[in-house]
Amino acid sequence: MEGEFLNNESTWSICQKVFPLLKDNNYIEEPFQQVEFEELCNFVKKTETQKPLQALVCKKIEKELWNRVVPEFWSYFKDHSDNKKGFELFYTAVDTLYNNYKRLNNIILTLDIFRQRTNLFEVPYNEKTIYNFLKLTLRSALFAQLQVDYQTITKDFYETALRMQDQNEIIMLCLICSQASAFCNCLNLFQETNSKLGEMTLLEPLVGQTLTNLCHNYIYSHIQKICKDNYDSFISNLERWLHSIVIAWLKEIYSFDSYQPLNDYMEMFEKKLVDYLYNAYTKLRINQLFNIVIEYPESLPALEDVRLCLPRTDLKPMLTTKLQKAMETRLLHPGVSTIDILTAYVATIRSLRVLDPSGLLLETVTQPIHQYLRSREDTVRCVVSSLTEEGPSDLAEELNRGEPVDENTPIDDEDENWETWVPDPVDAAPSKGSPKEYSTSRRNTDIISMLVNIYGSKDLFVNEYRTLLADRLLSQYTCDTEKEIRYLELLKLRFGDSQLHFCEVMLKDIADSKRINQRIKEDTEYSETELPLSTMIVSQQFWPPFKDEKLELHENIVSQMKKFTACFETLKGSRTLCWKNHLGVVNLDIELNDRKVNFSVSPIQATILMHFQDKDTWELEELSKVMQCPPTILRRKIGFWLSHSVLTETQLDVFSVQEAVEHKTAPQEEFYVEEFESESAMASAQDQKEEELQNIWSYILGMLLNLDSLPLERIHHMLKMFAFQGPTTECSQSELKVFLDRKVRERQLIFANGVYKLPK
Amino acid sequence: MAQNVNPFLEQQSSGTVKENDTSKRTQGDSHAVTRRLHKELMTLMMSTDKSISAFPEGENLFRWIGTISGPKDSVYESLKFKLNFLFPNSYPYSAPLVKFITPCFHPNVDTNGNICLDILKDKWSALYDVRTILLSIQALLGEPNIASPLNALAAETWEKKEDYKKHVMEMYKEG
Repeated sequence: MEGEFLNNESTWSICQKVFPLLKDNNYIEEPFQQVEFEELCNFVKKTETQKPLQALVCKKIEKELWNRVVPEFWSYFKDHSDNKKGFELFYTAVDTLYNNYKRLNNIILTLDIFRQRTNLFEVPYNEKTIYNFLKLTLRSALFAQLQVDYQTITKDFYETALRMQDQNEIIMLCLICSQASAFCNCLNLFQETNSKLGEMTLLEPLVGQTLTNLCHNYIYSHIQKICKDNYDSFISNLERWLHSIVIAWLKEIYSFDSYQPLNDYMEMFEKKLVDYLYNAYTKLRINQLFNIVIEYPESLPALEDVRLCLPRTDLKPMLTTKLQKAMETRLLHPGVSTIDILTAYVATIRSLRVLDPSGLLLETVTQPIHQYLRSREDTVRCVVSSLTEEGPSDLAEELNRGEPVDENTPIDDEDENWETWVPDPVDAAPSKGSPKEYSTSRRNTDIISMLVNIYGSKDLFVNEYRTLLADRLLSQYTCDTEKEIRYLELLKLRFGDSQLHFCEVMLKDIADSKRINQRIKEDTEYSETELPLSTMIVSQQFWPPFKDEKLELHENIVSQMKKFTACFETLKGSRTLCWKNHLGVVNLDIELNDRKVNFSVSPIQATILMHFQDKDTWELEELSKVMQCPPTILRRKIGFWLSHSVLTETQLDVFSVQEAVEHKTAPQEEFYVEEFESESAMASAQDQKEEELQNIWSYILGMLLNLDSLPLERIHHMLKMFAFQGPTTECSQSELKVFLDRKVRERQLIFANGVYKLPK
Repeated sequence: MAQNVNPFLEQQSSGTVKENDTSKRTQGDSHAVTRRLHKELMTLMMSTDKSISAFPEGENLFRWIGTISGPKDSVYESLKFKLNFLFPNSYPYSAPLVKFITPCFHPNVDTNGNICLDILKDKWSALYDVRTILLSIQALLGEPNIASPLNALAAETWEKKEDYKKHVMEMYKEG
C-alpha cells in the first residue's frame, strides 16, 4: 500500500501532512492547506485507494493507543499511597488520556471529512461511525491492559467525592486539597473528570463496578454507624438519606454518561440500591435481634422496622436461624439464671408477636427455649414464684389480666373481623388436628399458657404452686392470708377451680387454725403455762408432704402439746393432732447474767437452749441422744448459739452457757435476730422422686428374685405394667437405667451380658 | 370402675381370660381379679419379709413365680424353692394352682411338684392371698403332714434326719 503512495512522493507527503500519524513517532501536527487535502482526495479517488488509506490510518491509531496512550494512562495507577494522592492521580490520568483522545479524535475528524469526499462508507470492525471506532479501540486497549488493582484508585477518587457530597459530615476543609471549602476547586475537577470520562464513554465501563461497590459499602457503613446500639426506627430516614445523598450524587455523575439512556439505567440502579439498603438494614437488625428482643418494649420501633422490611427482603429463614443461634449461645447455658431466661422468654414472646402475629415464628424460635427450660429443675418454681411475686414482674402483670387458660376450648371466631384476617404464612407446618383450630390456638395463646404448655400440663404448675404456697404459709406464721387468697382467685381463673381445690383447703386450714387456737385457749381445761403455744393445724391429705426430721422436744413443751392435743380431741371429736416437731418458730427471751436478748428461732435451736436451762454443760453425744438428732446436724444448730455468744464450746464437743460476754466488742443489750431457714419445709421434688424410686426398687427386687435375670427393657416394661399405677409416677427407660446403674455401683445389682440380676 | 384400670392391662388380662378359662366370665369380673392381683403384688413388694416373694412371670398377670426360702432350723434352711402360681379367673373365690418348680423332697410334694395342702384344696377361702399361701407352704416345709403323704419315701425317712437331708440335697441338686 505504502508502495503506491511512495511512487508518488508528493502525494504521500500530503497524505502525511493530512494524517500526521502516518509519519513516524513523535509526529507534529502541521496545518495543511485545503488545496492539498483536495488533491489527496482526488488522487485517492482516481486510484481507488481510499480503503487501504483508511485502514492504514486506523491501524496507526490503534498502534498509538495500544503502545503509547493506554500504557501511559495505566502508568498512573502503578503507585498510590493515600486518598489525596489517589484523587489527584486519577484526575491527572484521566486528563492525560483525554488530551490524547482529543488529538486522535482530530485525526478521526479529518478522516471523516476524507471519507465523505471519497465516498467511503465502510467502517473498520463494522462500527456505525468512525468515531465509534475510536471509542471502541480505546476501550479495548484499556481493558486489554487493565491494571489489576486500578479500582483502589478509582474507589479513592469517588469515595472522597461522595464523602464531600454527604452533608451529614460537616467538613470545613476540603478533603483533597485541605483548603477551606469556599476556595476549593476540587469538586469542579471531579465534575470535569466525570464529563471527560463520559465523553470517551468510559464512565460506566471503567468506574461502574467501582461505583456500585462504593455505594454498597457506603450504605452499609452508614447503617452501621447510625443503628449501632440504637433501637429507634430508621428505615424511612435511611431511605430518604439514600435518595437525597447517594442517588442524587450518582445521578450527577451519570448525567455525563453518553453510553446508554440515563433514565432507565438510573431507575434500575436506584431500585437495586434501595433493595440493598433494605437488605443491609434488615440483616443488621437481625444480627441485633437478640438485644432488640431483650430491650423490648424500648426497642419496639426497631421491631416495627423489621416487620416492615421482612416482606421486602425474604430474610425470614435467616432471622429464625440467627435468633435461635443467639438464644442458644447467649441465653441457654448454665451461666444464666432461670429467672433471666424466663424474662427473656416473655420478652421474646411479646416482641415476636409484633413481628409475626400468626405466632408461627414464635413457635419455631422458642422451641429450643422450651426444651432447655424443660431440662431446668427450678423452672416451674421460678414461673410460679414470679407469678405470685410482689412488685412489678411481667408474669404477675400478665396474671392480673386474668384470662383463663383454655387448653382445649376452641375459640369461636365467628365474631372476629374477617376483613382483618390474614392467612397463615406459607411455611406454616401442617398442623396436627384441624388446621383452623390449631392456627387460632397459635394466634391466641397468652404468655402464661405458653409457659404452662412448656410442660404440656397444668398439673405440674398447680403442684408447684401448692408447694410454694405451703412454704409461704408455714414460714410466715401469721394468719394473714388475704394476699394469698387474691392470688389463688386469680390462678383459679386460669387453671380452674378443681385444680386448685387443694390450695383452697390449705388456705382454709390457716383460717381454721386461728379459730381453733382461740377456742382452745378459752377452754377451761386447757391451762397455759409459761410456754404460750399457738398451733398451725393443717390437713395432711391436702398439704404437700413435709420434710421429715426427727426431733425430740423438751419435756416442758411436750407436756404442753399433750394438753393441747387433748383439748383438740374433745373439740374435734374423732380427730387428733400429729405434731411436726421440727417445724415452727419459737420466740425466745434469753436472760443471762449480763444481758437480755430476744431471738426468733427454729424449734431445734430453742430445744437446745431449753436443755441448757436444766443443765449448764452438755456433751454433744449426750444432747444428741436426748434430742434424737444426729450430732452433725446438732453441731450446726449449736453453731448458731455459739456465734451469738450464748453458748461456748469449753472443750471439744462440750458446750456450756456463756453467762457473761468477756470482751464486749459491740453493745449487745438488745437485738433481734431472725434466723432465716432458707431450706424449704416441704419435701423437695428430689426427695419425692427418691421415694418413688425406692418403691420401684422393691418391685425390681421382687422381679429379679423370682425371675432371676432380666434385661432393662423387660424391667421397664414390667414396671410399667405392674408398678406404675398412679398417674404421677412415671419413669423413662433412661431414668431407670441411671437408677439401675447406680444400684450396680452400690453392688446391690449385677449387670452382665445385657441382663440385670441380684448378687448371690 | 373400669376407668381406673389401665386399659393396656385390661387388654392383657381379657386376652388370657379367653385362653385359660373355659367358663365364660364377664369383663367386670376379670377387672376385679386384675385389681386384686395388683393389690396383692403391691403388698408383697412393700412387705419387709425377704424369705418369701412372688412376681408375675411375664406380661400375664395370672401367672406368677414365687420364691420361698427354707424355714430356719429345718433341713431346708438356706435352700430356695421356686413355685409356679396359676390364677383362675374366679380367683379369689377359687384357689390358684400352685406347684413347685424346684424339685423338692417332701412328704406332701410329689415328683411333679404338686403340693398337697388343705388351703389350696377344700379349705381355700377368699381371705387367703399369695402371701399367706407362700407362708403356708414355707411352714409346710418345716412341718409336713405325714398322715397323707404324696411322697411315701419322704414320709418314711422324715424321722431319720440325716438320711432325709441327704435325699433333700440330692433332689435339690437335680434342679
